[in-house]
Amino acid sequence: MNQEQIELTIGWLYPTLMSTYGDRGNVICLQKRCEWRGYTVKILPLDENATAADFQRVDIIVGGGAQDRQQEIVMRDLQGTKAAALRERIDSGTPGVFTCGAPQLLGHYYEPALGQRIEGLGLFDFVSVHPGANARRCIGNLVVEVTAQRLAQELAAICGSPTYLIGFENHGGRTKLGQVEPLGRVVQGLGNNGEDGTEGAFYQNAIATYSHGPLLPKNPFVADWLIQTALRQKYQAPIVLKPLEDPFATQARQAMFQRLRINVPTG
Amino acid sequence: MDVVGEMAKIQIKDRLQLGLAVLSAKAVTFGVRSLKLGAASVLPGEIARRLQPQLLQLLSRQVKQGVILIAGTNGKTTTSLLLRTMLERQGKRVAHNATGANLENGLISALLANTNLVGTLDVDYAILEVDENVVPRVLAAIEPKIILCLNLFRDQLDRYGEVDAISQRWSKAIATLPPDTIIIPNADDPTLSYLGQQLPQKVLFFGLSEPEQYLEEIPHAVDSIYCPNCGHSLDYKGVYLSHLGDFHCPNCGFHKAPVAINSQEYPQILIGLYNKYNTLAAVLAAQQLGVDEATIRDTINNFQAAFGRAEELHVNGKHVRILLSKNPVGMNETIRAVNQVRQQTPSAQLAPVLFVLNDRIPDGTDVSWIWDVDTEKLVAQGGTFIVSGDRVYDMALRLRYSQPEDNSLQLIVKEDLREAIATALEHTPRDRTLHILPTYSAMLEVREILTGRKIL
Repeated sequence: MNQEQIELTIGWLYPTLMSTYGDRGNVICLQKRCEWRGYTVKILPLDENATAADFQRVDIIVGGGAQDRQQEIVMRDLQGTKAAALRERIDSGTPGVFTCGAPQLLGHYYEPALGQRIEGLGLFDFVSVHPGANARRCIGNLVVEVTAQRLAQELAAICGSPTYLIGFENHGGRTKLGQVEPLGRVVQGLGNNGEDGTEGAFYQNAIATYSHGPLLPKNPFVADWLIQTALRQKYQAPIVLKPLEDPFATQARQAMFQRLRINVPTG
Repeated sequence: MDVVGEMAKIQIKDRLQLGLAVLSAKAVTFGVRSLKLGAASVLPGEIARRLQPQLLQLLSRQVKQGVILIAGTNGKTTTSLLLRTMLERQGKRVAHNATGANLENGLISALLANTNLVGTLDVDYAILEVDENVVPRVLAAIEPKIILCLNLFRDQLDRYGEVDAISQRWSKAIATLPPDTIIIPNADDPTLSYLGQQLPQKVLFFGLSEPEQYLEEIPHAVDSIYCPNCGHSLDYKGVYLSHLGDFHCPNCGFHKAPVAINSQEYPQILIGLYNKYNTLAAVLAAQQLGVDEATIRDTINNFQAAFGRAEELHVNGKHVRILLSKNPVGMNETIRAVNQVRQQTPSAQLAPVLFVLNDRIPDGTDVSWIWDVDTEKLVAQGGTFIVSGDRVYDMALRLRYSQPEDNSLQLIVKEDLREAIATALEHTPRDRTLHILPTYSAMLEVREILTGRKIL
């Protein structure tokens, strides 16, 4: 397949309502890594002005965090045919990355510190609860070893095994997983709830994680996995991605691993 | 014992404790300074507060003509310095936490610096910059004469959580103050406009009346484009910066409050539109305190920047401007101002820009916010960019992802700050300005390297 003919549409969930802290970094990263390879990229906002048909057109879905009030507005809007379309996309394997508050929308429900329970789409088998306004927020640098089986294998094929994600978490809510597979094991930080050592969740090709903002720039192999998966889904043929140089990401990762005194295989 | 006697006893006890606390604090200040450990802007207050928990209340009551609280995410230091200069030019004595130590211990330290050994405070006014999160606790101790509410942007979410929650807590705390308290909120900030419109006190709004300054598009790093009254999307006639602008709600009719000052009558201080807001807030406060108009205008026309806030230095014959950049809105506005300066220059002679990104406690430990900054707008012009700081590679990564395909960007990475500054100065032509964009702790380090002395 001719690289110049490749075209991907990135669906960005509620860009103005759900982008609390650097979450745009994930969109920028996907867009640039496609463009650097000569692909055509479209960014499609999946917001109040979008239709269910828009939700059906996207090849990759990105969702970030929201303040509680904004989260409520999103959930009011994300009902009916839009919700059904999003559910259908994720169920059928459209790759996505949902950081910070976005996963709460995909779980069964989120109970904020103040106000009423916000019902989610119930796609991911987990619930999120805020333990109260006076409870400590989970804040700090986060290192996660990817354990979700298929994802770990596919990432290893891209970058060498095993795979460590590096990021920053900042959340009040605590997430308890049901039958869904966790994304990984916490090496540094608190993760889903600070208790069971799990972080995030992985379902079909959708990644949920509390590691907000620039998850993808700091972990470019995850961005490439999302792109590769999107291409496979869309064109039904394996497309080999041209490797890119990532010196700054590598150095930023090494600097943080050193500071945290964590020995991980570099890749 | 009768009630009056009981009260007198408490007052004497307070008085003694106040004296003891003040003496201890003075001793600590003397010790810290003698040993050259710093400017003693926090520790004396902290020690004294433990000895006398009501110290903030006891000290602030002695301020003769009133306390002015200055709160907001950006602009506190510049606004304070402007107002302080106006008052001092009128011959007033002013206490001020000028080093930016804006938690309770910093406020106490600033007041203590103006007391004598037995705890008597001799100032006409106290100007206190207050961290947005401690406003309710400070208002429980102090009844200020004036409160300036400059703006509310997301900043240091790692510590504080969300903008909505902060404005609600401010509103509750202010509502309990006496009716003659003067509140000066930013009318262009929907959250603060709403807050002001709900308050029972005397409220004077400031804001811009300059449609020619509208941005072409709403920047990404906005927090509050939803109606604080009904939750509907706000309509903007125009945006000045971030979510500040001329707005109204098509659903409930909530709109920008009428302003008490015409922004077009006052000139720009320093660079950056945000400094216009700082000017207007200071002017309104000064007018309420009886400063005459000639003094106000004279102060604006001759204003010198506070440390690190568009501060200008000459180093080895080169011109340097330090622009503290600690959150997305602040850095976006800085970039806009720097671009305006750089646009007057042919690209071959562009001076470099130096970013210094730290992630220590005073900076906020989360540096994700750099992805909300429109660094693309700065990089688009090309030129040399130098990065340094604790998170130098994160900043380099952000710039790498900002680079357009045909851009002749030169990116220089220097872990060592001294080397970074030296390299930046080497690349700066003699008739150009080197702009340095540091986070807070980085700004202190940059100043120390450039001036050879510490400020804090």
